[in-house]
Amino acid sequence: MSIAAEPNDLRDDVLNGLQLSTQLERVWRTPSGWMGALMAVDHKVVGRRYIVTAFVFLLLGGILAVLMRVQLAGPEKTFLSADKYNQVFTMHGSTMMFLFAVPVMEAFAVYLVPLMVGTRNIAFPRLNAFSYWMFLFGGCFLWISFLFNVGPDVGWFSYVPLSSLQFTPTKRADVWAQMITFTEVAALAVAVEIVVTVFKLRAPGMTLDRIPLFVWAMLVTAFLVMFAMPSIMVASTSLILDRLVNTRFYDSSSGGHPLLWQHLFWFFGHPEVYIIFIPGTGMVSAILATFARRPVIGYPVVILSLIATGFLSFGLWVHHMFVTGLPQLGAALFTASSMLIAVPSGLQIFCWLATLWDGRPVYRTPLLFVIGFIVIFVLGGLSGVMVASVPIDTQVHDTYFVVAHFHYVLIGGAVFPLIGAVYYWFPKIAGRMLSERLGRWNFWLAFIGFNVAFFPMHILGLIGMPRRVYTYTADMDWAHLNLLSSGGALIFALSFALLLVNVIYSLRKGELAGDNPWDASTLEWATSSPPPPQNFDRIPVVKHRDPLWADSESLPVVAGLSAERREVLLTSLAEAEPQIREASPEPSIWPLLAAIATTIFFIGSIFTPWAVLWGTPPMAVTLIGWFWPTGSKEDEE
Amino acid sequence: MTAADRHSRLLYWAGVALGPIAWGINLQGVYVLAHFSCEQTRISGAIMSAVLAIVALAGTVISARAVQRGAGAEWTDAQGGGPRTFMAWLGVGSGVLFALVIANQFAASLMISPCLR
Repeated sequence: MSIAAEPNDLRDDVLNGLQLSTQLERVWRTPSGWMGALMAVDHKVVGRRYIVTAFVFLLLGGILAVLMRVQLAGPEKTFLSADKYNQVFTMHGSTMMFLFAVPVMEAFAVYLVPLMVGTRNIAFPRLNAFSYWMFLFGGCFLWISFLFNVGPDVGWFSYVPLSSLQFTPTKRADVWAQMITFTEVAALAVAVEIVVTVFKLRAPGMTLDRIPLFVWAMLVTAFLVMFAMPSIMVASTSLILDRLVNTRFYDSSSGGHPLLWQHLFWFFGHPEVYIIFIPGTGMVSAILATFARRPVIGYPVVILSLIATGFLSFGLWVHHMFVTGLPQLGAALFTASSMLIAVPSGLQIFCWLATLWDGRPVYRTPLLFVIGFIVIFVLGGLSGVMVASVPIDTQVHDTYFVVAHFHYVLIGGAVFPLIGAVYYWFPKIAGRMLSERLGRWNFWLAFIGFNVAFFPMHILGLIGMPRRVYTYTADMDWAHLNLLSSGGALIFALSFALLLVNVIYSLRKGELAGDNPWDASTLEWATSSPPPPQNFDRIPVVKHRDPLWADSESLPVVAGLSAERREVLLTSLAEAEPQIREASPEPSIWPLLAAIATTIFFIGSIFTPWAVLWGTPPMAVTLIGWFWPTGSKEDEE
Repeated sequence: MTAADRHSRLLYWAGVALGPIAWGINLQGVYVLAHFSCEQTRISGAIMSAVLAIVALAGTVISARAVQRGAGAEWTDAQGGGPRTFMAWLGVGSGVLFALVIANQFAASLMISPCLR
């Protein structure tokens, strides 16, 4: 396939082999040096940064978890004060949800989706860079505040009236609320990029029913982000307004209502669970197909399940509010919808089990983590069906039973697939294999440690231990189970230390990976490991749902894109027919400057409303700079 | 593209889109109608939901017919490349899903008083 050439434009159809690779690398490479690093817009560079930063936040959040388990290992311990404990559990929840779980999934998408759909860069690459800087600055803002003893202490969902000015007169609640704004801006930006990349930048021939399941999962997730996150941004902004300029959104004495906060928060908060879980299912599908040596059974069923899960996730939020005194009939309807969502999730589980059953499974580390995911997630799902029922939820609300449930769902549903994904895609990202022996130790420590840490919490909850207590007395009979749980947490933490050791060791001494070490079927494995700046010398043409299994010798390609400037091929939505060549933006410092200006605006506006006034011009200047025509080739069309 | 092609493409999109459109109208409609339902006809919300559930199911029927007409066999083909059939199946699923959600709202409008504040 070839695209008509214009005169005086060097196209990739007149170059071949090394000449073409060298020319494209020169055009697409990220400039060297500090300045080059700050200007990077390559999705792989930004994706790697995103992944590493999210894992640093995982490490920090994990350390806080260990601190909590040390404090709770025995009765009446004084390792952490009550005030410090409040900050620690709030920081743990906020870090894990907003600075690790969502960003790391989007980070993998930023790195992998363009490769998997066969294009050269993500859509809106400068917005992508801006998104990363916003995420980094938001995370640093939260953690620096914590180090200066201004860390939020109102829980990761920051309920009013506890977070109102009356009960939290310090800046702690403002820090939490503004961290939300930072991370949601970042997440929304990535969501837009993913949607446009999947809809318009797919390789020719990659029709809707040939899109890899991981990409489908990220597409559904991106839509969830776009519909759910505005709700929490409205909530956090109105909380700041209540605290800063005395609006009364949540003050019942002035016509506001505290329950408004809970509705706004959980309208975001429940889809948030699926924003974390659905990418995990995409990772599971990718890993499972490769190691079962056959395509996932029921491809369309899995996609319909993903879409149904995404949609239904917006109809469950009230099950977090069963004890707020809602009308019983309303609660009953939300119980029904909460149970309904188990259907599409269950369908996916059956498709995966059937794939394993019908395949020839090769039990390497990524597949072990997937099997761990299935076991743990099903257990979490069962306790989920329990707490979806109003009478049970009323009994166990705000107890350790709920803590156990959501850790089973979130760690089982997202972290296990994620670690499997690290083992699976590390060779593509780093060019070297992770150690299989350390990987197996990693898996068994994680699986055993996790269950020892969190299963006893079910029982602790049932015998009445409330969540978020910083200590308990010896006569409560909670000590033994808490000690067991703390021991499990240490084993679980050790598994992550082993992962870190494995990554550091393998980066230097790991076995060289080659292009496709797992003999996988999707397009990211069609290029070198790590991929060159241009991803592919020529854009592949897809003729099969598993292109590398169908065309293992030579993948058909399309030629005719420019070889002297950054250019991507736009294709049609359903059929992926080539439509137009489109310039892709060059590296730029403006996304970083815009993020700095936005950071100053955001932080200033928790101290004074005037920040809205004086914070806007610098943002406007950076945005004008960002979009100012430079006369470069990208502006010509 | 021939006129028949255009017509057929329109039908594929109609099958996929009718469900969500019906649900969107129903969701907004129940808010708009709440005051009227309280003052005048209590079942106006239920009538609207019933009609819109039928609209969503019409999407399913259009898509199911497209599957019947077209390449049902492609459904089981691991090769892919039949995006219209895929969309038709998507339409079957989305029509049923949205009809179920509208039915949920229909049930709520029958059970909950529109005057409840």
